[in-house]
Amino acid sequence: MKTFLRVVIFSLAVIFFYTFYASSMIPQIRPAPPPVEAKLDLGAMTMEQFINLGDTIFHGKGTCELCHNPVGGRAPLLDQVGKRAEERLKDPRYKGKAKTGEEYIRESMKEPSAFVVAGFGVKGTNDTQSPMPVVTSGAIGLKDFEVDAVIAYFQQKAGVSVTVQLPKEAPKQEAAAPAAVPAKSPEDVVAKYGCGVCHKIAGQAGPIGPDLTKIGAKKNKDYLRRAILDPNADIAKECPTGPCVPGIMPQDFGAKMTAGELEMLVNYLAKSK
Amino acid sequence: MKLSSVVFKGAPLLKKKFITALCLLAFLFTPLFLESIKLLPMKAGAAYASEQTAQAEKPSGPEAKSEAKKEEHPPAPKLTEKDYPQVKYINGRIMAWLVAQLHLWFAAFVLAVPILVFIVEAIGMATKDKRYDKMAYEFIKVSLTAYSITAVFGGLLLFTLVIFYPDFMKYMAGIFSPTILAYAFLFFAESACLYIYYYGWHAMETGFGKWMHLTIGWVLNVVGTVLMFFANAWVGFMMSPHGVDAAGVFEGNIWHAIHTHLWNPLNLHRTVANVAYGGSVVGAYAAYKFLSSKTSEERAHYDWMGYTANFIAVSALLPLPFAGYWLIAEIYAYSQQMGITLMGGVFAWLFIIQAVLIGALFLSVNYYLWCGMERSKGADRYTKYIKYIAFVIVACFLVWFTPHTLILTPGELKALGGPYHKYLGPLGIMPAKNTAVNIMLIFTFLSFLLYRRCNKVATVSWAPIGNAMQIAIFVAAIINIATLGIYYGYFTNTVYKVASSVPQVMSTLTVIIACLIIDVFMFKGAKEVAPLQWGKMPDRSQYALFLLAVSFTWLMGLMGFIRSAIRQHWHVYTVFRDNSPDAFTPTIGYATRIVSIGVVIFMAIVIFIFWLAHISGKKSVSKEASH
Amino acid sequence: MKIPRLLLFVILVAISYFIFKAPGIFLKQPIPSSLIVMYMFFAVVTILLWMTSTEEGMQGLVGPIKAMIEDPSKKTLRNIVFLIVPLLAGGITYMQLRPTYEAPVELRSIHPAPPSTVKVFGKTFNLMTLENPYRKVEKEDPAKFAQLVKEGGEVYFKNCFYCHGDKLDGRGHYAHGFNPLPANFTDIGTIAQLQESFLFWRIATGGPGLPKEGAPWISAMPIWENFLTEDEVWKVILFLYNYTGYVPRSWAK
Repeated sequence: MKTFLRVVIFSLAVIFFYTFYASSMIPQIRPAPPPVEAKLDLGAMTMEQFINLGDTIFHGKGTCELCHNPVGGRAPLLDQVGKRAEERLKDPRYKGKAKTGEEYIRESMKEPSAFVVAGFGVKGTNDTQSPMPVVTSGAIGLKDFEVDAVIAYFQQKAGVSVTVQLPKEAPKQEAAAPAAVPAKSPEDVVAKYGCGVCHKIAGQAGPIGPDLTKIGAKKNKDYLRRAILDPNADIAKECPTGPCVPGIMPQDFGAKMTAGELEMLVNYLAKSK
Repeated sequence: MKLSSVVFKGAPLLKKKFITALCLLAFLFTPLFLESIKLLPMKAGAAYASEQTAQAEKPSGPEAKSEAKKEEHPPAPKLTEKDYPQVKYINGRIMAWLVAQLHLWFAAFVLAVPILVFIVEAIGMATKDKRYDKMAYEFIKVSLTAYSITAVFGGLLLFTLVIFYPDFMKYMAGIFSPTILAYAFLFFAESACLYIYYYGWHAMETGFGKWMHLTIGWVLNVVGTVLMFFANAWVGFMMSPHGVDAAGVFEGNIWHAIHTHLWNPLNLHRTVANVAYGGSVVGAYAAYKFLSSKTSEERAHYDWMGYTANFIAVSALLPLPFAGYWLIAEIYAYSQQMGITLMGGVFAWLFIIQAVLIGALFLSVNYYLWCGMERSKGADRYTKYIKYIAFVIVACFLVWFTPHTLILTPGELKALGGPYHKYLGPLGIMPAKNTAVNIMLIFTFLSFLLYRRCNKVATVSWAPIGNAMQIAIFVAAIINIATLGIYYGYFTNTVYKVASSVPQVMSTLTVIIACLIIDVFMFKGAKEVAPLQWGKMPDRSQYALFLLAVSFTWLMGLMGFIRSAIRQHWHVYTVFRDNSPDAFTPTIGYATRIVSIGVVIFMAIVIFIFWLAHISGKKSVSKEASH
Repeated sequence: MKIPRLLLFVILVAISYFIFKAPGIFLKQPIPSSLIVMYMFFAVVTILLWMTSTEEGMQGLVGPIKAMIEDPSKKTLRNIVFLIVPLLAGGITYMQLRPTYEAPVELRSIHPAPPSTVKVFGKTFNLMTLENPYRKVEKEDPAKFAQLVKEGGEVYFKNCFYCHGDKLDGRGHYAHGFNPLPANFTDIGTIAQLQESFLFWRIATGGPGLPKEGAPWISAMPIWENFLTEDEVWKVILFLYNYTGYVPRSWAK
C-alpha cells in the first residue's frame, strides 16, 4: 500500500509539474478567434469585409469589369471614381439629382443615362444615352446593399473616406438558390448568363456585342458553339460601337454552362433567322 | 527460479537482440507491404481507370457521370451554432476530446502489447528460455482487460460524436460508410484472434502448436494494425481532405478519400509510437511489481521484465523523431498555411513544452541505465564516466528547449537593447536544436554501451584497436554533426535552415550501427568479471520507468491536441467548417489542463486493470500451490 | 582530498547558477530570469541524478541530511536549519509577490508570421512569392545597383535614421523614448534572418499592421505606405542589406 501511494504521488507530481510548466511558465497566447464568415451574417460585417464584398462583386457577379477595363476602352475606368464623382457633379452637363459623390455613383449605377461621360455614350445620341445596363435589374440584379458595397470599394480604392453606411441587418436570403438549377428554356439561358447585357437577343437590346437576332441566317451551329466556348476564336467585324475587340466576352461559359444549356442556346441561335 | 537462469550468458543475449531487431523491422514493413497488396484489387477496378484518364487529360467525357454522382453526395453542410445540440452541464467538445483521447491511449496500448508479446514469444521460442514465455503471457493478460475498455471508449466516442456533432458524423458516414463496415468486421476478427491467442496459450505450448500460436499472434497484429489504418484514414481525411471537391462533394472514389496526403505518414508515426508507448506502460507495470515484490526471485523477474520493456520502448523511441519529421514535412507540403500554424504561430510554444518532455524522457532513460550498472560489480570501472555524459546531456537539453522568442521583463529588454539575445538567439533556431538532439542521442547510446560492458572484459586480441575505433567514430560523428549544424544554421542564407538535419541523423545512425557491430564482435566470448545480478537495483531507479510512462502518456495527449488543433475552426480542413460555439483554438494552458485530466483518468483505469490482473494472478498462484 | 558529497552538490549548483548569470554580469547580455529558472531546475535535477546513480553516491548525499535530522548530538545545527529553511522560503515568496514599479512582462514574437497576402499601395501583394524588383540589378548592372542603393540611402536618412540610427543599430535620436526599441539591423537576428518580402510588409504597414496574435503591439513604426512610394521602399531595403553586409534569406540555395 505504501508503494502504491508513493507511485501515485510521484506520478501526480510529474503531471502537476508539466501542467504547471505549460500553464504558468509558458506565455499564454490567446489564438485569434475563427474568422467571421462573410456571407453568413451581413448584420455583423466590418467595413473591411464590406469593401471586400464590393471588390468581389465588381470582378464577379456585377460583371462591371467586362467593360470598365483598360483593354476595350468601352467604358470609363473606375479606379479614381470615388474621387472624381465630386468633380462630375460640377460638370455643366450634369442634370441628375445627386448631391454627394456617393449619391452620384449610386445614381450612375441605377440610372446609367443620368450622366454620360463624354465619348462613352451610345453612338448617335450625342452622349445622352448610356450603353450600360441598370445593375439592379435584369441579369445582373444587384441588391441595394451590394450596390453600396461596390460604392464603398470605389471610395476605398480612390483613397477618399468611405461614406457608405454598413447594412443594418441581414437581408432576406432568397437569391442564391435558383442559379444552380439548369435553365429550362433558351430565354432562361439568355437571362441566366446575362447575354442581353451586351448582345441584342431574345427581346433584350445590349448595345456592345454583335446583334444576334438574325445570327442563324449567317452562321452554322459549330461556329456558334465555338463562339460561346472560345469567344476569341473568331471575332466579328461589326459591333454597334465600332469594330469588335477580342477579350471582352467572358471566357468561362464553357465551365459555367451545363451541356444541356449550351445545346439549347446554340439551337435557339441557329433558328434565329 | 534458479539464480543461474537469471544470469545472462553472452550468446543467448546476442540472439535476443538480433531477434528483437528483426521483429521490429518486420513490423515496420508489414504495413507498407500490405498497403501495396491492398492497392491491387482497387487498381483493377474502374476507380483506377478513371483516375488514369483524369490524370491523362482534363475530364471531358464523364461529365454526365459526375453530374449523377453529385446528386448522390451532398456538399459539406454549412452549419450554424444552432446545428450543434447543447446538453446542460456538459461541454460537447471537452467530452469528445477526453473520450477520444482516452480511446486513443487504450487503443495504442492494446495495439502495442500484442506486438511486444509477439516479439517476446518469438525470442522465447528461439532461445528456449521459459522466462520469456511467462512474461509474454503476463503481458497479454494485462492487455485483455484493456481491450474491452478500449471498445467501451470507442463506443462512448461514437455516441458522443453523434450526440454533439450529428451533421458532421452524417457527412463523414456518407463518405466512409464502406470502411465503417470493414472496420466493424475487422474488430470482430481482432477479438477472435485475441481470444484464441490468449485462451489457447497453454493448449498450444509445444511443438507445432507453438508455431500455430505464434502465427495467430502475427495475424492478430496485422488485423490490429489494419484496424488502426482505417481510423487513421478518417483522421487523415479531416486534416488533408482528398477525393472531394472544394465544396466537400464526394467524388465517389473511396480509395481517394482514404489515401490522403497524410495517411501514410500518420500510419508510420502512430505504429512506431504505439510500440514505444506500449513498452513504457509495461515497463511501469514491471516497476510497480518490482517495488511491491517480497522475494528476491520476484524482484529479479520484474527487474528483468522492466529492463526488457524499457529496452523495446527506447528502441522504438529512437526512430520516432524521424517519423515525426516526415509527418511534419508532409503537412507543410500539403498546406503551407497549416505548416506555419503548426511551427510558427501559437503552437510554436507547444514545441518548447514538447522539448522539455522529451528531454525528461532522455534523462530518465539515462538514469535507468546508470542505475542498471549497479547490477554488476564490474561497473565500477565505468561509473566515473557518468558525470561527463550527464554534463553533455544536460548541456544539449538546455539548448534543446531554449525558445526562439524570449520572455523578457522590461528591465531585461532595456539591458539587451532589443528583443534579440546575442548568445541565446542562435540557440533558439532549428539547426542548434537538431545538433543538440543528435548529440543527446549519441550520448544516450554511449550510456547503453557502457552498461553493456559493465560485467565483462573483452578478451579478443584487437580489443584496444576496437576501442580506439569506437572512440574515433564517436568523435568524428560529433564533429560532423556540430559542423553541419553550425554551417547550415549560421553561414547560409537559404530559408531551408534544416537542410543539415538529414546528414546529421545519418551520422547518428552510423554511430549506433557501427559501434554496435564492433561491440558485438569485440565481446564475443568475453570474460565475465562479475555477473549481472537481476533485482539488485535501487528502488529509486524504478521511478525512472514511471516517469517514462507518465511523460509518454502526457506527451501523446499533447501532441494529439496539436495534431487535431491545427485544423483550427474546420471539421474537415478548408471544406467543412466548424461553427459550433467551441470552434475556437484554446490557449496552451487550457489544453494542457484538459490533457492532464485525461492522463489522471487514464492512470486510474490502468491501475484498476493492473489490480485485476494482480488478483487473478493470485488465484492461479494459489491453485498451483495446492496442486 | 575527497570533498563531501553534500558540499559538492552545493558547489555544483552554485557554479551552474554562476554560469547562467555570467552573460548578464560580464557581457551585458543577461539570460532572462524566466529561462534561468528552467535552466537551474534541470541543472539541479541532472546533478541529483548523477549523484544518486550509485548507491555510494546516494549515501554520501542523503547520509549527512539524515544524520542532521536524527542524530541527537546535532541538536543545535538542526534547530538552526529548521529556523533558516522556513524563513528562506518565506523570504522568496515575499520577494516574488511584493508589488514593484516594474511594468509587467510583455511577450513579443520576434518574427510574427506574415499574412499570405498584403494590400498596400492600392495593390495586393503575395508575400510568399514577392521579390525585390531591383535585386536582379545587382548582378546585371553593378553601377546602376550602386546608384539604387545610394537612392535607398537617401530615403533612409530622410525618414528612418531618426529612430534606427545613423549606424543602423537601432540607436537613433528618438530611440530611447520608445518601447519596444527600434530594430537593430546590424544584429544577426533581424534582417539577416528574413526575406525581403517580410521587410516590405513590415515597412509598408508599420506598427499598426502587426498581427494581433503577438500580444500587445505598441510599436511606434509609422505606416510608411502613406509616406513613401513602393519604389522607395524597395530601394531602402536594398540599402539596409548593402550597408549591413547581410544577404536576404531566399528560398533557393
